[in-house]
Amino acid sequence: MATDIQISIVGSAGDGTIAAGEILRNALAGMGYKVISFDVYPPEIRGFGKCIARMRITTEQAYSLKHKSDVMVSLDDSHAIPHAGELRDCGALIYEQGSIVRLPEGGHMSAHVGPGQLPYPVPIRELSEKSTGANRSRNIVVLGFIAGLFNLPVEGFRKAIGKKFKSKAAAAEASEAAFKAGLDYAAKTFKLDDVVFGPPVSTVVAGATVEMINGNAAIVRGALDAGIDTFFGYPITPATSIMERLASEMPRRGGRLLQTEDEISAISAVIGAGFAGARAATSTSGPGLSLMAEMLGMGVIGEVPSVVFVSQRGGPSTGMPTKTEQSDLHMAVYGGHGDAPRIVIAPTNVDGCYRCGGKAFELAEVYQTPVIVLIDLYLSNRYETVVFPARPPFEADLNRKPGKAAAGAPYKRYALGGDDVSPRAIPGDKGGMHVVTGLEHNELGRPNDSAELHTAMSRKRHEKLKLALNHPDFTKFKRFGDEGPVDVGVISWGSNFGECLEAMLKARGEGIRCAAMKVVMLSPFPTDGVAAFMADCKEVLVPELNYQGQFANLLQAHVARPVTRLARVPGEPMKVEEILEEIRRLAGKKAAQKAA
Amino acid sequence: MANAKNARHHIVIGSGVAGSQAAETLREREPDARVTILTLSSLLFYNRYDLPKVFRGHRDWREFLAFPAEYYKDYRIEVRRCSRVAGVDGSRRSITLEHKEEIRFDTLLVASGGRGYIPEELVEFRPLMHPFASYTEAVTAASVVPDRGHVIMLGGDMIGLDLARTLIDTRHRVTLVAGPQTFWPHEVTDDERPGLIAALENMGVEVVEGADAGGIASIEQGAKGLSARRVLFKDGTELYGDVVMPFFGLSPSVEFMLGSGTDIERGLLVNPALRTTGEGIYAAGDVCQIWSDAEKRYRFFYGWKNVRAMGDLAARNITGGDEPWVPAQDEQLHISDDGKIQSPFWEYE
Ligand SMILES: Cc1cc2nc3c(=O)[nH]c(=O)nc-3n(C[C@H](O)[C@H](O)[C@H](O)COP(=O)(O)OP(=O)(O)OC[C@H]3O[C@@H](n4cnc5c(N)ncnc54)[C@H](O)[C@@H]3O)c2cc1C
Repeated sequence: MATDIQISIVGSAGDGTIAAGEILRNALAGMGYKVISFDVYPPEIRGFGKCIARMRITTEQAYSLKHKSDVMVSLDDSHAIPHAGELRDCGALIYEQGSIVRLPEGGHMSAHVGPGQLPYPVPIRELSEKSTGANRSRNIVVLGFIAGLFNLPVEGFRKAIGKKFKSKAAAAEASEAAFKAGLDYAAKTFKLDDVVFGPPVSTVVAGATVEMINGNAAIVRGALDAGIDTFFGYPITPATSIMERLASEMPRRGGRLLQTEDEISAISAVIGAGFAGARAATSTSGPGLSLMAEMLGMGVIGEVPSVVFVSQRGGPSTGMPTKTEQSDLHMAVYGGHGDAPRIVIAPTNVDGCYRCGGKAFELAEVYQTPVIVLIDLYLSNRYETVVFPARPPFEADLNRKPGKAAAGAPYKRYALGGDDVSPRAIPGDKGGMHVVTGLEHNELGRPNDSAELHTAMSRKRHEKLKLALNHPDFTKFKRFGDEGPVDVGVISWGSNFGECLEAMLKARGEGIRCAAMKVVMLSPFPTDGVAAFMADCKEVLVPELNYQGQFANLLQAHVARPVTRLARVPGEPMKVEEILEEIRRLAGKKAAQKAA
Repeated sequence: MANAKNARHHIVIGSGVAGSQAAETLREREPDARVTILTLSSLLFYNRYDLPKVFRGHRDWREFLAFPAEYYKDYRIEVRRCSRVAGVDGSRRSITLEHKEEIRFDTLLVASGGRGYIPEELVEFRPLMHPFASYTEAVTAASVVPDRGHVIMLGGDMIGLDLARTLIDTRHRVTLVAGPQTFWPHEVTDDERPGLIAALENMGVEVVEGADAGGIASIEQGAKGLSARRVLFKDGTELYGDVVMPFFGLSPSVEFMLGSGTDIERGLLVNPALRTTGEGIYAAGDVCQIWSDAEKRYRFFYGWKNVRAMGDLAARNITGGDEPWVPAQDEQLHISDDGKIQSPFWEYE
């Protein structure tokens, strides 16, 4: 029996909502289910604001969260009540049975349970207090109740709880008691909802490991597996945890990490380290990328391998730090002055974050350029079960070394000709002395602004990047769904692609001929592949999370044909239903035209 | 919605036959009004007379619902499940729910029915018995009785006897420990009783006049490893079975009305128009005792058809009517020509 269950836990900051979500998803992933999870929390740390831990648990691979949950838990009715409608009919709504204060009419979840939903009032606070002497473990009581109600193996929860509180013995003991209290209460509860967990299906090949991990952690893992040497950064939501994780991991592996005074320093140091031959990176969000724009140009003209991980959030300016958006695409691809081409890659899921996180170093080194890995808050904070291969799929040291120069001939760091990728000597290499400058230069690196040279160097810097379109073992774009001509083709990028894929698959289920394409390599743009796909599509739909339709703009700059834009800025993932509705509309439009 | 601002809020306590019928009539007669049902149940309204079906393998609650969820949306009836009324303040026209929420009403209909009555001496054995008053109780009971298992029914009553018919039909063994409530709510004379007991035996029920033999001394679990339950009588005799189910009639659910300003005897006392003594408060169904001019006493009227008619009447009187109660069904127990018991209770639509 296939499992496809979404659980949402809604509470306020300080209720342990996010912690409960973390334990639950770890427990379920540990049992062998596939899990996608995305939490929403306020910018404040504790005591204010709404937190939602949402996860989708499946046996088949899922690509996005569902529009409706199958199970919803309220740890705070004032926050959860507006979300009650997001629970599907016959789903389970678990909430606090009582209240210690008088409530106005409508102030209790029982007033908001829809007629099709199944209510489970649980004395959560009382169970926590009786089992632990405090109400702090309400979140763990709820986990016990979930384990009992859905008949899930208790051992998996115990492990996940143990891991969470491994350095806090008192909290671990209280959690054990609270979990049991919830479990026992579930044993006395009559199950009425139709939510059923089937057995997990393991598809993991020998030697591989499965981990529940979020996009930022996957980037870090990719960077580490690719052999990152140095990292310079300045914290910013939602990218901070990349630096935090690297800070604890890199010293153990002989790497170096420095928190610089700002983003300008960070990128400058990365370019310096890249020049010195290190695999170097920084991470930031939109505001930091703006500051880095000038130095990225330096990386381009100096042809210095450098990697920038960018996690987008709502903008412009300080914008919406804890909301997701895909509005830095223009900035990533075109940002900065001058003709400054760079490689921009955008993974579409957490597994992709791992791959792009590692491949970025290869691309930077092989094509001697800054590489931007563009994700967003949704992907940074989204947890998925990822299967890691036994051996990291990244190559070490892909540097094109200068051959033996002809006697008396100087080493040309920016040699023209061939495939436009010049041999790269690292400072200290014998016979590899050269100049790197932000000024336009000749093949030796010496300043020179002649018209011919500027034209030749500009061409070189642009043309060499096109080789990246054939970089081995790296998916630049991929088609899903129906083969051959289709009525509707959906093209998207980044975190939003999961929703597009899910919508396309649903549309196919409804009999609509359609397909979807994810574009991972945004610069250089894989024009041929995308154009071939578009030629198959009667209608092209481009959903994305920004106002301007930045990807649609990019697409149309490369493939001149009309597309339907679905550009939205809700600050949260796009609803699959909204994309599906648009596919239906476009397919209907086609049907109507045919009929006419 | 015209004049929705000044619309009245009608609250109905209970989502049984009486309350559900009342809510529908209220909605039809006062389209602008706000209609709210408060109920203990986790499920929307279902007909309890259908519950014996669980022994025929019907275990999905969706099959039992009287109306789909959309009905409540279409009729704009708010149903608040798992919401126990803790108290009613008639003068402030407000209800307090057990979870401390306060709700104001313009009119209140109490249709809280009754809960299974258990004689005092058996209360301590409650955990060892399987009641049969709700869907969850019915499914729980059915899930512990094995195929062709043995059910010991204590008391009887027309609800239990209805179940007994199904159990025998589904090849279970039924032993009835008979007592004063065996034919509740029918009133049966000493002369009629032997014939009715014989008719039960004719149906296939094994009858023990247990209560007459001194009553039940104890109920035990897993006795001697032979059966799930042993019922020990005061005279030393014993009975082994898979499940013990109590059927001793109902006692009205009125505790939350104490202090509400309404008169209560066993049930809520109402005049023939189903008004209680509290302003704007009505009652219908198993919870109320209606003044009978003919009998010069307050009395209960049981049975599904009666209860539904009460819900309808109360709603009509709440919305401007002033009609008196007229029983909607016969109350007599009969034995048919082929020797079977026939109760008007067992006639459903
Ligand atoms: C198993 C079973 C089988 C039956 N079979 C038959 C039959 O075959 N024929 C027949 O005529 N009759 C039958 N009956 C009897 C019939 O169901 C009752 O007469 C009828 O249900 C009474 O309806 P009611 O609306 O008055 O109350 P009920 O149906 O008892 O409903 C009472 C409602 O009030 C709610 N309530 C109670 N207290 C509170 C509170 N404090 N706060 C909020 N809500 C509260 C309950 O949750 C419930 O929704 C049967 C009863 C049972 C239990």
